[in-house]
Formats: sequence, structure tokens, C-alpha cells
Amino acid sequence: MVISGMGVVSGCGNNVHETLDNFSTGCRKGGPPSLFKTDLPYPVFEVPGFQAGDGTVMRTFELAVAAANEAIRESGLENTLLAHRVGVCLGTTVASQLNDVDFYRAYRNTGSAPMHSVDRYLNGNLAGAIQQKFHLSGPACTVVNACSSGTDAIGVGISWLRADMCDIVICGGADELNRVPLCGFGSLGIVSDSLCKPFDKDRSGLNLGEGAGILIIEKENVLRKRGREKEFCISGYGLAADAYHLTAPRPDGSGLEAALTHAMNEAGISPGQVAFINAHGTATRDNDKVEGDVLARVFGSKVQFLSTKGYTGHTLGAAGGLEAVFTVLGLREGWIPQSIGFENEDDEIGIAPVREKTIINGNYAVSTSLAFGGNNSAIVIEKE
Amino acid sequence: MNIAGIGIVFNRGRGLPALEKALEEGWVPPTASRYSVSDDFIKDRVILKEMRRADTFSKMACLAAHDAVADSGLSVAGKSSLGIILASALGPYVTTFRFLDDILQYGDAKVSPTVFSHSVHNAAVSYIALCLQSRGPTLTITQFSQSFYQALLLAEAWMLEDRCTHVLVGSAEQCDDILEYVCRQKIHLAEDGKIEPFLFSESPKAVPGEGSVFFLLDKQETSGKYGKISIHGDNGVQGLDMYLLECSGLTGDEAVYRNDAKAGPLISSYTPLFGSMMSGIGFSCAAAALMLKNQRYYAAPVQSNPHNAPLCGGHQSAPLNTIRCISYGCHNEKMEFTLKHAHG
Repeated sequence: MVISGMGVVSGCGNNVHETLDNFSTGCRKGGPPSLFKTDLPYPVFEVPGFQAGDGTVMRTFELAVAAANEAIRESGLENTLLAHRVGVCLGTTVASQLNDVDFYRAYRNTGSAPMHSVDRYLNGNLAGAIQQKFHLSGPACTVVNACSSGTDAIGVGISWLRADMCDIVICGGADELNRVPLCGFGSLGIVSDSLCKPFDKDRSGLNLGEGAGILIIEKENVLRKRGREKEFCISGYGLAADAYHLTAPRPDGSGLEAALTHAMNEAGISPGQVAFINAHGTATRDNDKVEGDVLARVFGSKVQFLSTKGYTGHTLGAAGGLEAVFTVLGLREGWIPQSIGFENEDDEIGIAPVREKTIINGNYAVSTSLAFGGNNSAIVIEKE
Repeated sequence: MNIAGIGIVFNRGRGLPALEKALEEGWVPPTASRYSVSDDFIKDRVILKEMRRADTFSKMACLAAHDAVADSGLSVAGKSSLGIILASALGPYVTTFRFLDDILQYGDAKVSPTVFSHSVHNAAVSYIALCLQSRGPTLTITQFSQSFYQALLLAEAWMLEDRCTHVLVGSAEQCDDILEYVCRQKIHLAEDGKIEPFLFSESPKAVPGEGSVFFLLDKQETSGKYGKISIHGDNGVQGLDMYLLECSGLTGDEAVYRNDAKAGPLISSYTPLFGSMMSGIGFSCAAAALMLKNQRYYAAPVQSNPHNAPLCGGHQSAPLNTIRCISYGCHNEKMEFTLKHAHG
């Protein structure tokens, strides 16, 4: 399935151009949250200078629209989108929940609460809202697979195209920063009170972030009919369950390995053909240990990989979408940024991400996502 | 897609015998202002042995999913190629509010990690995979009134691309005082606890419900005991025995169903048995599948019929080949689910 457009907005930049600048210079901008009040001491990655509206729609939706607009522009579909069967599949976590503390406080204290929070939620189903925003009539589906939602939304888009349920899919993920998941992740003891260090020996947990990463994917014949050339495609997708624990990854990593194997089998490639991996790399003790072990086992100890969460924080439902775009950018630009935050190799993992901006050679790259609930997902991106 | 097994948990009990009994007995008023699933229906020390701390949402979903697989007779080997898709309009929102309660009560730094981890939408599917020891694809989706339809669409796509040979597709919804409060602000509730589907009212009345239903689907050419389910194809009425209309009062104006009621086939609606749920069409599909298996028409449980629609007025055992379940979403988008008997 051909990738014809991509858009991003995250703590690393408001668009692809800004993101590449920050990747290139190794710049990251985490800090205390300004979007809500909390007494928790954890830094977060907010989107710098993002102009949100008046609060009548979800910030998640606004982030998704910003990224979708950039992706649609790049795809050249601004004026012709409605001429096609266009599906929308997006991952999220925050936009799927009515986790509005003010609403609940009012209900709890008085037995009644204003309905504007409910209206915002009911109008904010992410895929449905984007479908309406762009007046689309194909399938719409919001994936709520926790931290792998964005990758899995892309996977659903691939399945739709293969089944001829539509011609083009707007897919990826979006999530806003919210006090409730910050409290939740904090309660699990997996949030760092300093900027995160994915795969580092001294990593102490994740930072939360926000953003949106959107891909436009379409059938090759549709792209050619539009007079455009194929440059990148998604050639494989795999997902597999751990069936192990609600929040911890299966220690042997067999679920992630199964997802990777499936994705590479679909792409018809061997591990040796993969130029680099954009790892999930949250900087929690468990995730990075399991993921690092699997990457070493599947790709060998010399494999080039990185985690971009040092630039964006963990953006939950947006992460898979953002990191899919970052993976395409790595293949397009011919380099990947330093895995920021990483300094010291962890002997328990025995594999290290790239320490500096690194030239890459090859036509294939992989992006992985691991989620609460033991879901593991991987996609293979191919450069023509 | 072939329906190989069904599992259900709803206000009248757990399992297909409970559904069959409800269809035979007809409407009974709720014991309170909504239809709730009794804790007694979700007690199972064997199946839920790893789920002592799980919430009601996850337990309902896990039991329905387990029962669908058991009903199908799917072997352990078959589970290696089993996909799981859960559709829910609102997810485990009751647990989300429990977590907000923690934040307000104890502060940001002293909340329960257990409650938080269960408030995530895909917790239920995680438990299902654990319970079944299924390592295949798992996905949770939410699309309000389209949730179950989109789940079936994806199940079909997964089987077409051979991502899996079997897909366990289901829906789950939960209801508590807060949702009932929101419903009272946004829509009309039936104070007598009776959903009246055939009024086709522009301002219908709902009775919130909860429960979970799962279908074990495969792509076998030969139909199993429940027949096949399709969401595509010829939408004409030829050969159609019955329409099941998902009029439950939840999505506003139900006048849109009047055209379907006049289309020719016999009509019925079992929403008064299940209560109003945004992804409730799955329960209607379960009723349709059971009717096809039993070759039995079950009377519409509430028969107020001012428009003289051709209602299914009484129980009757007779040949029954094709039933179409029809639901309209929040924007009047039409969703059709056609179920065909094994020999139809």
C-alpha cells in the first residue's frame, strides 16, 4: 500500500520540516505541564505554540486535523479527496474516554453536571470527527488499543484497502496531554521525573507527550491514475498478543517477535534487509529490556535502531502514527537522528541505539509498538 | 462469514439458554430504571480465575467471548489463528469514573494503579486473550453506534487477507448512574421501563441496558448451526423472512425506520429485552442467529403498533431462512446485517 502523504505535530515540531530540524540538531523540549494543573513532578512534551480553539472540540481532534491537513497537502488530494472512497482509521486513548475531572467533580458534588463536556466527547470520536470534517463517506474506525493504537490503525487501513473497502485511507493516531493518564501512569511507577532515556542503563521511566501522526495510504493503481509516482509503501504489518499480563510485557518477548516476523513475512523480506528500526522504546525498565532483547535476537546485535520518544515523549495513541512518519522520514532523508537521552549501554539488554545522527542505507525500515494489555504491533516501510 | 459460536451476557442471564428463555417469555420490566447485569451472572471461578481484580466490563466481555468459543467447539490448535475484536461505544467508562473518584478523593499522586489499568479500553480484550491463551491479533475499537458494524467489517477483512482463520467479534457496554444521568439530559427515558420500538417516534424513549455478546466467525464454505452473517451484498427484500429493527430510543429520531417497516417482510425488534445500548445491534444479531438455528419465530416482546406494521405477533415454529437486522446511526447512516440459515 502506497504512502502518498504524511503529517506530524508533536513536542518535536508542528510539521515535518520543524521535526527534521529538531532531529538534526538533537533538540528536545520537555518541561512541566502547562495545559493542566497537577502536583506531580513529571516533565511532559507539549506541542510548542499549538493554537487550540475555544474548547468546544477536543484538543486531540485539533492535533489530528493539523497533521491530516499537512498529509493531505503532501498527497496532492486537497481538491480531489471527495472523488475517492476515503476511509479514516485513527488510534487514540484520551479521545475515547470521558475522563473530564471537572465534569465528574460537578456530578459527584451536586448530582448534576454541565453537558458541554459530554457534547465534546460525543462529537469527538476521532475517526468519525475527521470523517465529518473532510466530508468523507468511506469506513471510519477509531482504534483504542492503548499505546499501539496508531500502528494498529495503519494496519486496519491496510486491511481495508486489500479488501477493497475503500481506495484511500487517512490513518495514524492522535492524543492530547491529559491529567488523568499522567496520574495513571504515575501510579504505575513508570514515569520519570527527568527527561526520558530510552534503552539507557540508568533509564527511570517514560515522559508523556502529545501529538498526531497521519499517513495517507492508497492503492497503487489509484496513485498512478492521479499521475503520481510511488515512493514509499507499507509492505508489511503484524500484530500479536502476549496473553500474559494487563500492563507488563511478556518477559520472553515472543509476542513482539511474532508481530515482527509476521510483518516481515508479509513484506517478503529477511531481517538482514532492514536498514533501521524505530523502536517503541518508552524508557521504562520492562519495555526496553524486552524490546531490546527481541531486536537483538531477531536482527542481531549490530542492528541500527533508535527511540524517538526522547524527542516527543510517549504520545500513547499517537505514538504509532508519529513513529510511522518518522520511519518514512528516515528512509527519505537517508539518516536517522541520535536516540536522544541514551548515554550508557545496559549490559542486561546487550544492544544499544544509535548515539548520533546516523546515515542509513537500505530500502526497508521497521516501526514497533507495544501496548498495555500485551498487544504488539510492527509495520515494515519500503522505499522504492 | 460463518457463525460458529455465540456467547452472551445480558440482564436476563448468561448463555444462549438465557437468551432463548427471554425470547420465549417476552418483555419483563427492569427491576430499576435500567436493565443491569446481576453480579450473579458474572461469577465463574474457573473462567475468571485470573480476573479477581477485573471490573464488570471485562468480566462480561470475557465470559461472552469464552462462551462463544466453547459453543463453537474450536480446538486449542485453532486458537493459534484466532483474531479478537471488541467493539464498544463507551468502553469501561464506569472504571474511568472510579479512577476520577480516586483523583478527587486522594490527589494526583495517590491513585490506584489497578483501577487505572482497568480503565483502558483494551483491558477486556487483554483478559480475553489471557483467558483463551490466544496469541493472535487483538483489537478494540470504538465508533459509537457504528462500533459493531465496523468490527464485523474488519473481521471480514482479516479473514479475506488470511490474517486469521477465525475471528471472535463482540461488543460490550456497561451502564451506571452517571450514564443514566447523561441519558436523562440528552434523550428521553421510558419511566415504565418499556422500549416501544414500533412507535417509530421522532422522540423515542430508551431504557439503558448493559451486557456483552460475542460471535466466533470463520470463513468455512459450509454453514454451521447458526448460518452466515453478511454486511454487504444485495439489500433487496426478495427471499427475506424478517427484519429486526434496532429501535431502542438511543439515537434520536426513529421515524427513519418507517420505510423499513413498510418494505414487505415481517418485522420484529428485541431491544425491549436487552435495553438500549449504542452497540446493541450485536444482541439483535444473536437473537436472529438463534431464531435461524431453532427455525422459530419469536413474537415481538412489545407490540404497540400504531402504524400497522407487519409485526411478528406470536411464537411460531416454521421455516426461516433469512433475517436482516437494521440499525441507523447517529447521523441516520444505515447499517444492515443479513443472517442466512445454514440451508437457506
